Amino acid sequence: MENVKLEIDGRTIEAAEGTTVLKAARSIGIKIPTLCDDERLESYGGCRMCTVEIETKWGRKRLVTSCVYPVEEGLKVQTSTEKVVRIRKMIIELLWPAWQLYAKEYGVTSSRFKTGMTDCSLCGLCLRYCSEVKKANRIYFQGRGIERKPALVEGSELSCRACGECFSLCGSGWIASRC
Amino acid sequence: MSRLEKPADLEKLRDQIVAQRNSKSKWLAVCAGTGCRAYGAETLADSLEEEIEKRGMGETVGVRRTGCHGFCERGPLVVVEPSGLCYLGAQPKNVPAIIDTLSSGDGAIDKLFFQDESGKPISHVDEIPFYKHQKRVVLENNVRIDASSILDYIAVGGYSALAKALSGMTPEDVLNEVKKAKLRGRGGGGFLAGRKWETTRNAHGDPKYVIVNADEGDPGAYMDRSILEGNPHGVLEGLILGAYAIGASEGFIYVRQEYPLARNHAQKALEEAREYGLLGKNILGTAFSFDVKIHRGAGAFVSGESSALMSAIEGHVGEPRPKYIHTSEKGIWGKPSCLNNVETWANVPHIINKGADWFCSMGTEGSKGTKIFSLVGKVTNTGLVEVPMGITLRDIIFKIGGGVPKGKKFKAVQTGGPSGGVIPESLLDLPVDFDELTKVGSMMGSGGMIVMDENTCMVDTARYYTNFLAHESCGKCVPCREGVRQMLIILNRITSGEGKEGDLELLEELSEFMEAASLCALGQSAPFPVKSTLKYFREEYVEHIKDKRCQAGVCSALIAYDIDQEKCEACGACLRNCPVNAVNKSEDKVFTIIQEKCIKCGACFTACPEKFGAVIKVPAYTMQKQPATAALIDNKA
Amino acid sequence: MDASKQVTSEHTMPPLDVLIIDDEETFAEACSQTLESKGYRVVVAKNGQQGLQMAGTAHPSVVLLDLKMPGMDGMEVLGRLGKIEPTAVPIVVTGHGTVDSAVESMKIGAFDFITKPFEPEKLLESVRRAKGLSVIRKESAAGDQPHSSNKYDLLLQGLDVLGEAYSMGLEKRQLLDELTYLENEAKYHAGSLGQIKKKERAILDIRNELLEADAIMRKYEFQKNALIQVLLDVQERFRWLPRHILNWISGRLNIPLREIYVIANFYEAFSLEPRGRHIVQVCTGTACHVRGASETLTRISTMLGLQPGQTDSKQEFTLETVHCIGCCALAPVVQIDSQYHRDPPRSKLEKIFKSLKKEEAEECLA
Repeated sequence: MENVKLEIDGRTIEAAEGTTVLKAARSIGIKIPTLCDDERLESYGGCRMCTVEIETKWGRKRLVTSCVYPVEEGLKVQTSTEKVVRIRKMIIELLWPAWQLYAKEYGVTSSRFKTGMTDCSLCGLCLRYCSEVKKANRIYFQGRGIERKPALVEGSELSCRACGECFSLCGSGWIASRC
Repeated sequence: MSRLEKPADLEKLRDQIVAQRNSKSKWLAVCAGTGCRAYGAETLADSLEEEIEKRGMGETVGVRRTGCHGFCERGPLVVVEPSGLCYLGAQPKNVPAIIDTLSSGDGAIDKLFFQDESGKPISHVDEIPFYKHQKRVVLENNVRIDASSILDYIAVGGYSALAKALSGMTPEDVLNEVKKAKLRGRGGGGFLAGRKWETTRNAHGDPKYVIVNADEGDPGAYMDRSILEGNPHGVLEGLILGAYAIGASEGFIYVRQEYPLARNHAQKALEEAREYGLLGKNILGTAFSFDVKIHRGAGAFVSGESSALMSAIEGHVGEPRPKYIHTSEKGIWGKPSCLNNVETWANVPHIINKGADWFCSMGTEGSKGTKIFSLVGKVTNTGLVEVPMGITLRDIIFKIGGGVPKGKKFKAVQTGGPSGGVIPESLLDLPVDFDELTKVGSMMGSGGMIVMDENTCMVDTARYYTNFLAHESCGKCVPCREGVRQMLIILNRITSGEGKEGDLELLEELSEFMEAASLCALGQSAPFPVKSTLKYFREEYVEHIKDKRCQAGVCSALIAYDIDQEKCEACGACLRNCPVNAVNKSEDKVFTIIQEKCIKCGACFTACPEKFGAVIKVPAYTMQKQPATAALIDNKA
Repeated sequence: MDASKQVTSEHTMPPLDVLIIDDEETFAEACSQTLESKGYRVVVAKNGQQGLQMAGTAHPSVVLLDLKMPGMDGMEVLGRLGKIEPTAVPIVVTGHGTVDSAVESMKIGAFDFITKPFEPEKLLESVRRAKGLSVIRKESAAGDQPHSSNKYDLLLQGLDVLGEAYSMGLEKRQLLDELTYLENEAKYHAGSLGQIKKKERAILDIRNELLEADAIMRKYEFQKNALIQVLLDVQERFRWLPRHILNWISGRLNIPLREIYVIANFYEAFSLEPRGRHIVQVCTGTACHVRGASETLTRISTMLGLQPGQTDSKQEFTLETVHCIGCCALAPVVQIDSQYHRDPPRSKLEKIFKSLKKEEAEECLA
């Protein structure tokens, strides 16, 4: 693998081709907030917290999710522009109160929306961990759209309780409270 | 004759079939599309055949069950060849009369013809305004062939483009012709098909795949279904040409489970094409091999998205994947895969046959060729229309569509399905063009065109699409799932009379956020229905919030049904049709509605004879105080 | 052990919640205290024999049963308990805590298992859930018997165990073995309800259904990526996706049950509940919507007494909404089985529903 040169928040770094912008940023200590990311799992791109603004070497500007966007030569990345911050605030507000890890940092103290109908943020950490790492395949998402919710394969409670490794991944305690 | 061993064999076969077909001097083309079937087209075709048989005319007259003719409003449709007489709404009882006119040569049946405004019958299909202003290229063969017969397709020139390409063109030539034609994808985005093909062609990986997207999910749109039902070989020929140009060896037709007829016809087309050596190993005796499988979609709007569709073909759940590498390069099983919708593929044989110059002679600078729309909703002539790009919306809706029925006032037209937007009357002179429609906040989409009149509520329309998307979003990413959820909550609030100040601003903020942050195109375009209605019909929103009024009389929480005592003739139609017995007959024979029982299903409103127009819609708040009909919303008479 | 906790007469005592059968007094006492602190009424039996006797007279909701006891061991007690007190929900206590013995006991009717040493939270949670199940069992035992002995209900438990065995990665059996196993499972459940004749029919039916599912999968050469196509065919054939068939497919195609549930829950075409013999579809496509489909839906929904997506208890009608059936000229359109109707008024609908019901009655007679 060759290395490519890119710029993150004004700092020039070299990163291996194929790595993501998020990993490259972390390697030099730049923090990008994430919800659905976990080093042990494949990138998911679901929560959109890690959205950053990029400019390609052809001068094209846009918003991308840094956990799935691969580094490329001449890329300029800004990790907390005004647009990006607005998106992150909105995400916290929409998931309120299930997920408040960054609420303080982004100054969100309440939500203008009618939220709180669920204690699950549908980040998919538990079920991806269950399939990708444990290969147990016990949890899945049921339904789609606004009706989507995590569910256990019927008859799994017993073995889920015995394993319990995903409990600590869950920011809201959904999974522990159902097993 | 079966397998064709070289391109020239096709011409020989065609000559044979044409000679055979010419033994009959007249054909009755009966539309057997899904719409006309619903009107009983099959029974009609059966009785036509019986009558012909009975009169011993079987030698000279034939009946052909064809694909959709387009004029669905007036089905079942029968077109006589070669005279071009067109019968609308024919019933089995009309059969003897129709057959009579065949032998006598004239004396047509006026009442089965289209009648213009003055009541003058128009007998010839090309003279009917609905057809006259269209430009039929892709749909042309629908009327001329029986979709379940490859011979019919070959007889009208089918597979000649393939023979032409395989006998004298290199794959590059085919690709260049499509590029030169500037054909843009008809599925929604409007990407240049040639460029997409080239990407897949140049991408590394083997095998390469080509895919027909027939997962038509837009509610109120049925172009792709009608093409695949009516002319499956036309689509297949385009796909084979594409595979040849791209260097693909395998193809898929992804068709919705809800379209059984389209699937069966496509299946039959594949089998027959294989039999004739037009598909499979060594097509037309050349070194080019290519085969196609059908994959049934199990019903999810989001499956139309390219990465979701490919994931479904792999046997996984149809969820979009974050992609910064396009599926043209890494698609099914990580191999280069080129996906186009039905209409796009169906255009290809015409481009190869008649050339890119011919194709470019139609349309505007940025949008070439024709486009098929399903013109539906509050329009006199519901149906499928194919028009040259660049025609104005006004021409489509008023010249072809015959305007809004019952003298109601036009309000807006919605294009682009759930990802599109509404276009108000002031913009009706806009030419139909990918870029022009995008500029005004709508989009071409796959071709749904829904006409709305004064009785259509724009807030309800936005709520309708948002509700659709709330259940059709896959739910993976936060902006789309939660954004659409909150939008729906707010819109439900407004349509039920509980809207608050600040709601509209919140909707706007959500729109901007979803557009910027969502994972796939579905989420990014999900706020468009809300955005465009807010842009052009903001006052309707304000009226719902501030006055608790729905001028169009749609939002059921804001309206009530009442009976105008002056107009009521006590015919009892409302009473008989009410499913909950909420209509009361008082002593002096006049009817009233018991508001507590009423479920607002509108049965009484529909049932009340138009000449009386006694059942009326009034704002709900007026019924809470007194039963008077203070402010009429909609009055039929 | 406190003697006062023993039941003397079932008439004078309030209904019993938990019966603990365990020879190890300290453990029994710990459980008993924990449960009583949460308001459960508990009694303790020292051995299997005594336990069964008390179960028969005191009708406990939940039985906490030690597997390793002198004399009659836990497995045997478990087997007999099903006959003596079928509504009691057994939870097994095991000192070994291995999945093997747990699965073994689950196969013969245990609802859950807890391990020694004693963990109060787990115990309480398990008892809470078991008591919930017992309420359902008692209700269905008191209610109409034929309904609760629906062949699927009866067999599902057994089939679940089969699915469990698969996903736990136990050795895969051949087709015949699996069926034999399944039959035994089914016979066990049938026996406990005393309906062996009926049961045998049901087993035959199930066997045929599984063979049909096999035929469908064979059509796609048992390819994993054909899963959606297989499920569509199953849905078409059975009008829904019965759980035992999903379990079966999972094993045959070697796809985790989870994947199958994801797909079955995602797509519109699939139904995880039986659908009616007649399907009433109200098109809610945009063209129909602007022409008043929601009013049509309200009307039909009221007439059938069903919400969209629901099926009536006799499985006659299912009411559904569809996004577009491409008959926009007939908008608002209603499709009843294969017939299309343009905004049918009440009288017409009544006629249609009546004739469909009549057809059915005639079919039944024939």
